[in-house]
Amino acid sequence: MRMNSALAIAAAVRNREVSAVELVDDCLSALESEGRRLVAVTRILTERARREAAAVDAAIAAGRDPGPLAGVPYGVKDLFDVAGLPTTSGSSLYANAPSATADAEVIQRLSDAGAILVATLNMDEFAYGFATINARHGTTRNPHDADRLAGGSSGGSAAAVAAHLLPFSLGSDTNGSVRVPASLTGIYGLKPTHGGLPMGGVFPFAESFDDVGPFTLSVADMQCVWTVLTGKSSEASDSAIRVARLGGRFRDNAHPDQIAAIDRIASDGPLIDLPHIAQARSAAFLITAAEGGALHREALARDPMAFDPATRDRLLAGALLPPTLIETAQAFRARYKAMIADLIADHDVLLAPSTPCVAPLIADPRILIDGDLSPARADLGIHSQPISFTGLPSLSVPLRRPGRLPLGIQLIGKPGGETLLFRFAAMLEEQRLTGVSSPAGVSAEVFLGDFA
Amino acid sequence: MRPPFSISSIDPFLLFLMATVAVASLLPVHGAAAIWFSVIADLAIALLFFLHGAKLSRDAIIQGIGNWRLHLLVFGSTYLLFPTIGLASVELAGGWIDPLLLSGLLYLTLLPSTVQSSIAFTAIAGGNVAAAVCSASLSNLIGIILTPLLVSQMMRVDGSGAQMSWHSIESIVLQLLLPFLAGHLLRPLIGGLVARNKSILQVVDRGSILLVVYSAFSAAVVNGIWNILGWRDMLALGALSVAILAMVMGVNVLAATLLRLPREDAIVLLFCGSKKSLVSGVPMAGALFAPASVGMIVLPLMIFHQLQLFVCAALAARFRRQIEAAEVEKSQRPALPRTEADAVARAAELGMTIPAACMPGVLANLALLDRHAERLFVQDDTACA
Repeated sequence: MRMNSALAIAAAVRNREVSAVELVDDCLSALESEGRRLVAVTRILTERARREAAAVDAAIAAGRDPGPLAGVPYGVKDLFDVAGLPTTSGSSLYANAPSATADAEVIQRLSDAGAILVATLNMDEFAYGFATINARHGTTRNPHDADRLAGGSSGGSAAAVAAHLLPFSLGSDTNGSVRVPASLTGIYGLKPTHGGLPMGGVFPFAESFDDVGPFTLSVADMQCVWTVLTGKSSEASDSAIRVARLGGRFRDNAHPDQIAAIDRIASDGPLIDLPHIAQARSAAFLITAAEGGALHREALARDPMAFDPATRDRLLAGALLPPTLIETAQAFRARYKAMIADLIADHDVLLAPSTPCVAPLIADPRILIDGDLSPARADLGIHSQPISFTGLPSLSVPLRRPGRLPLGIQLIGKPGGETLLFRFAAMLEEQRLTGVSSPAGVSAEVFLGDFA
Repeated sequence: MRPPFSISSIDPFLLFLMATVAVASLLPVHGAAAIWFSVIADLAIALLFFLHGAKLSRDAIIQGIGNWRLHLLVFGSTYLLFPTIGLASVELAGGWIDPLLLSGLLYLTLLPSTVQSSIAFTAIAGGNVAAAVCSASLSNLIGIILTPLLVSQMMRVDGSGAQMSWHSIESIVLQLLLPFLAGHLLRPLIGGLVARNKSILQVVDRGSILLVVYSAFSAAVVNGIWNILGWRDMLALGALSVAILAMVMGVNVLAATLLRLPREDAIVLLFCGSKKSLVSGVPMAGALFAPASVGMIVLPLMIFHQLQLFVCAALAARFRRQIEAAEVEKSQRPALPRTEADAVARAAELGMTIPAACMPGVLANLALLDRHAERLFVQDDTACA
């Protein structure tokens, strides 16, 4: 069974076309086989999932509505608190940490809406990377080509959805950790307005930029999950949407198909050059390194060799940064945000690539930036990091390109402008300019098709 | 945040420049004094090139000579862009101002670039001096042949131009190339001295510009340029000069941006590609045009020359301030640990030890962070300050 639509699953469960327990069992077995093969899964929560599914079925049998996500299975990046389990943030260091006493706030909201947590998913250790290369769990594979990276740091969350093992999942995005894997695996991924979703019970990385965000296979599912997570219903509007394209560095390091799609979507949209974009990225890089290093300073002092080799040296270096440098970077950020807000005041949606290229090969994880090869782990976020720096919401939407490696573009909105992003994304999806292209061998039919 | 405009915010060099123009207007050098002054100016220019010869390494000079893309851009700006804009200006301004003045306007766009001031401005602005020496000299030498050819194709001429050619070659060789070569050959002896005393070169750079400005404005005053022209022609010529210079500079800045020239090379293109030589232009006009019309033909050149000197001086001073501000900023920038010893000391302050196995990776990451810190501190006039 393939999980293609959260809304369709919820409708089927509520209409008793399928029981939540039956559905969750199928999902668990798919995660056990395919999820493990993709190295997308870190823990399968069989007992909890069955218990929750049974509760959903019982509620329906008793005539109660379990919520808009009734019986919909989902997974979370391995940095959300799950009651009864240690929160590891993808690290061996926390494998035996005391168990969380409660679910993260966003998990509680999803449970209240009837969704069923089935697994925790792979990530770069402490979310530090754009590759999901994890020393403890392994490297997550891209469902479109198992020899390629799924991107990161929420790579497991993206791969599980892209492979249609789950209809949606949660990741976290500090500098692009939702948008980068969403682009490389060809699904929808949202980084909300900074601070737009509750961070209670989420293992931090760099608090200046940390946000949680969902992955889905359609705009409608994204909107539904967003409504559940925020508790706010979307306001309908049919006002004209003013679209602009981001130029300069965003177009210099992009795949030609991304440029062509952006130009097609907004052929009349002005080309805006966000100034000092390289400085913005550098400031973000420094703040992230310093905050990440500071967060783990005690553990680094105690036992640095216990860290993943891929993140250890980066965290150590970040811990050594002088505080005055970070104060300067933060002051630059405050000025920059104000300047960008003025610059984009006349536009509702800005278009930019999500990643500079398609998924790199695992055997050679390097990408071309400004004509030079650089490590994918550090630089896949070249286009997402400057947007995180501004705190603006950004939805990565997949270009429709069946049979080819996926690519995404960012729809960037104004603070609090997620609903408008969804409306614009739905238009693009309707025009078939964007949309999920299933990996080879995965059925593109919606969930209900499996029951027909 | 940039300070509001005030006298103290003006670069001292610009104040000197304005004072020089005022002095030249009120007390122009003329007669025997002008001859002595000319000798002093020539010596200052020779000294300037001597010092630059001593300052530049062999590698820098070879790299400067080999920078063909830049030389082609400067050449293109001087002999393609300028003449095209000149022709368009003449076409547009026809009927508005005296036809002879219009011929002068077209003539100025066909001239070679200045050598001395282009290089001095490049040096002040922190540009690629070696490339500027090569580019400006080459452009000027080629102009000796090319300009008369262009003039003969695009304008009506009456003379041969031969007399001027030898004079130009002689002055370039004696004033520029020989002192430059002498300075460079003596580099093993005096190179260290020049490097240690940057202020000497700065005084000579700026002093030579002031001498040229004084000399040019004096000549304009002595020749009664301000009396020959009616205010309408003067205004029209001034406006056209501003438009031509702005267009050429704008195109050069755009080309430098599109081709991603390094800042040092972009400065060379801006200064060497936007200049027209009065030193070459006046004698060449004497050789090419009927004596009765030479006065009017060179008038636009004299006005353009004043303008380009002033604009380039202002720009060079601005670029210099940017460099100085960046250097001050850099010296005040919080230092990242760069060496193993720095990293160990900083880690000890934080109660940490860096395992030996991690040190290469930590240092590589610190170097990456240092590059990001450097980029963060890049000073830019449009920075969101």
